[in-house]
Amino acid sequence: MMNELRGRLVSEGRRSSMRLVAFFFLLLCVMGCGGGRGGSSGPSAMDSTLVITSLGDADYLNPVIGATVTSSNIFGLIYPSLLQSSFDTSTGLLNYMALEKQLRRGGTELKKPEAALARSWTFSPDHKTLTYHLRSDAFWDDGVPIVAGDFRFSYMLYGNPRIASPRQQYLAELVGAEKGAVDFSRAVTAQNDTTLVFRFHKPVPEYLALFHTSLTPLPEHFWKDVKPEEFRQSSLNQNPLGAGPYRLKSWKQQQELLLESSASANLPKPGNIPIISFRVVPDYTVRLAQLQTGAVDVVENIKPQDFEGLRSAAVPVEIKTVGLRVYDYVGWSNIDREEYLKNGRITPHPLFGSAKVRRALTMAIDRQSIMDGYLKEYGELADSDISPSLKWAYNSSIVPYAFNARKASEMLRDEGWVPGPDGILQKAGRRFSFSLYTNAGNERRNYASVIIQQNLRAIGIECRLEVQESNVFFENLQSRRLDAWMAGWSIGLEIDPMDVWGSDLETSRFNFTGYRNPRLDQLCLLAKEKMDPLQARPYWLEYQEMLHRDQPVTFLYWIRETQGFSTRIQGEELNISGVFYNIDDWTLRPSATLAP
Amino acid sequence: MLTYIFKRLLIAVPLIFGVLTLTFFIIRLAPGDPAAFFIQPGISPNVAMQIREQYGLNDPLLVQYLKWLMNVLQGDFGRSFSRAQQPVIEVIASALPITVTIAVLTLIANFVFGIIIGVVSAVRQNSFLDRFMTVGALFFYSMPEFWFALMMIILFALKIPIFPASGLNEIGAEGFGPFGFAMDRLWHLVLPVTVLSINGAAGIARYVRGSMLEVIRQDYIRTARAKGLPERVVIMRHALRNALLPVITLMGSSLPFIFSGALFIEVIFAFPGMGRVTVEAIFARDYPLIIANTFISGTLIIFGNLLADVLYAVVDPRIKL
Repeated sequence: MMNELRGRLVSEGRRSSMRLVAFFFLLLCVMGCGGGRGGSSGPSAMDSTLVITSLGDADYLNPVIGATVTSSNIFGLIYPSLLQSSFDTSTGLLNYMALEKQLRRGGTELKKPEAALARSWTFSPDHKTLTYHLRSDAFWDDGVPIVAGDFRFSYMLYGNPRIASPRQQYLAELVGAEKGAVDFSRAVTAQNDTTLVFRFHKPVPEYLALFHTSLTPLPEHFWKDVKPEEFRQSSLNQNPLGAGPYRLKSWKQQQELLLESSASANLPKPGNIPIISFRVVPDYTVRLAQLQTGAVDVVENIKPQDFEGLRSAAVPVEIKTVGLRVYDYVGWSNIDREEYLKNGRITPHPLFGSAKVRRALTMAIDRQSIMDGYLKEYGELADSDISPSLKWAYNSSIVPYAFNARKASEMLRDEGWVPGPDGILQKAGRRFSFSLYTNAGNERRNYASVIIQQNLRAIGIECRLEVQESNVFFENLQSRRLDAWMAGWSIGLEIDPMDVWGSDLETSRFNFTGYRNPRLDQLCLLAKEKMDPLQARPYWLEYQEMLHRDQPVTFLYWIRETQGFSTRIQGEELNISGVFYNIDDWTLRPSATLAP
Repeated sequence: MLTYIFKRLLIAVPLIFGVLTLTFFIIRLAPGDPAAFFIQPGISPNVAMQIREQYGLNDPLLVQYLKWLMNVLQGDFGRSFSRAQQPVIEVIASALPITVTIAVLTLIANFVFGIIIGVVSAVRQNSFLDRFMTVGALFFYSMPEFWFALMMIILFALKIPIFPASGLNEIGAEGFGPFGFAMDRLWHLVLPVTVLSINGAAGIARYVRGSMLEVIRQDYIRTARAKGLPERVVIMRHALRNALLPVITLMGSSLPFIFSGALFIEVIFAFPGMGRVTVEAIFARDYPLIIANTFISGTLIIFGNLLADVLYAVVDPRIKL
């Protein structure tokens, strides 16, 4: 009886589970129809949409305060600019272009300066007054002309301490800045709608004057009623008025930001691709999977170990690289930081105080193996913080220290470091033992740190690896609580290293090593004083030799940043000044089903 | 019962308040600086100072606390540091519905699958199916969810591309019409809800199985069978109802777990829900947002527990509150 009942129950159960399976199948079919994937069933929204993924969202669509990478990418598309710049790969110099004038001749001129608001400029012989002549046929998206007053208004916003613009450094040479506050009645004046004048308190090289005066403008008529104290909270930050090839279509924060081609644009023209979508996808594996399935078109910073998989993906993907702007290094505290923190006295660090010891450490680290194992052809050995991409300043005659553990041991012995009973080097009772700190979540540095640990162990140095959450790591670095660490810098296209190497440890905010070299300070000053950057070349060559000799840090390698591009994108030209440098010229190849 | 609920609610107020105060001080004592982003070469050192001034972080800690207290008492949790000065309430208002949708779907899936598996296992105790389900449940129960999520994406979005890997909707989903849009949304929720619920369902299945086995051996079940009732009625109406009593209390207490599970699911699947808001707020040291999130999750835990107690009294007349 019982068995019979059970049997009935089981067969009923089977029937109902069959029903359940059938129901789910049906549901999936219905959903599948609803969520039709782009490209597989006739023309779809994907054919007119370029999808760019990003790790994080834009913050403010306002160039005065926007600070995220995504925001900067969007500014270039929706706002006008005074000048256009292009990076000359043959010299490594930036060229600034107005409609009818260029800073330099020659080199590759990839982009015609049709989007520049300035027709031309004149620079006074004393290098203190820069006058722009603006075009009169440029309009904001609402039809109001773009005038010199908009620039004056915008610079006052950039310089307002209440607004706290992260770009206020650009105003440092303007009249009044030397006394603490820019005098806007003299520093930036609009003589008429098409004449804009900038005045500097000291002679400034022309390229720097052009660079620092080409901050993105905001429309005065649109923003003038917003009080500085409410500037960051204004809803206009989410509904910008621009004048570029694109304008904002919609923005679902932390999800997706859509730009549409602006039909009325004449700076230089409406964008070719109708819609550009910036999608926030925080997880790297997911971004990669979406690139492989064709759900997205551009993924930045692809890791070298994923290239193979991408090349054989169902949807063809191209790997593209730009110049060398990022390097990793191992930092050694050159000074006894405890003594400095306690008594303000500067004495050499007991382990890393001697340049010879630091050179030995560099030789003991097999940098080539780290590159071969992780970056492969996407890395280049580094000898200083001047990138090989900046050819005009780069010192190519420096020969990198080759990996040589024996020589490193000898150099350490010369400095008094001899093996102790436990195999670890000792000097006056002190063991050569330290912790190497790095920030969490960086696979490349994790990989490198393990090799460094093994390399150092081989010559009798004990190196413990410590990983810290990024905020904690950075705070420890700033407050000089670390003896040795691994980190990286992303360099600007203008060389200005005083913040990192300046001997005055109070003002050089990023001189975490405590390296002090008066000659290096002098070289930086001399180079800055030259009105033509090419004349500063000898100073930069000596600067690199000095860093190579003293090894305040062990420079590891330059990293060629890699981007994954769907092959349906055409006309893209990548440049060290930006991946989306000519995005308004890109086109999308239509999907196969659309082809005639 | 109403007096009991009222009393519990009254106790909840100082409790939540204490948690918030503790959070206020703990996050300020933790290393890290909300203005750290602005400390980099090429950015004037004044910026970080001006930003700190704007956020009111230059005041002494006690002054900061008093200001915060006055604002919170007026229902103002302040503005987010990291999200373009948006009022914290707005950030949460846009994130909460997404997480609630995931949580409700997960809760339903948890209980539906958990109860089905548990009942079948119990009814067919020691059979191959029971062992298979038990092993399967333990396997999924012990699997780290973030890893499982990535495996599901690689399997069902990359190798066999039938589900989307991230996002809430397809590009251009607005053009599908309201039904198509809703279906597209559900389609995007299949993977995350599966990942979140499979672990919970496995746990609930173990509970239901145990409790069901106990009930099936009771005298009144034998009586029901002796009356000649069909086995289905015996199991569904007589056994399951009683077996579910301990399980129902799980409903309240599993809410906070589902919310914390949503934390990484939202990061992996790129959903702008509470989980992602919390994670990003912590990394950015966005104090007002961290405190408001603590408020939401603290309230949920307290109400979840209250709900569990009240539900228990509702379904079991022997319990008096």
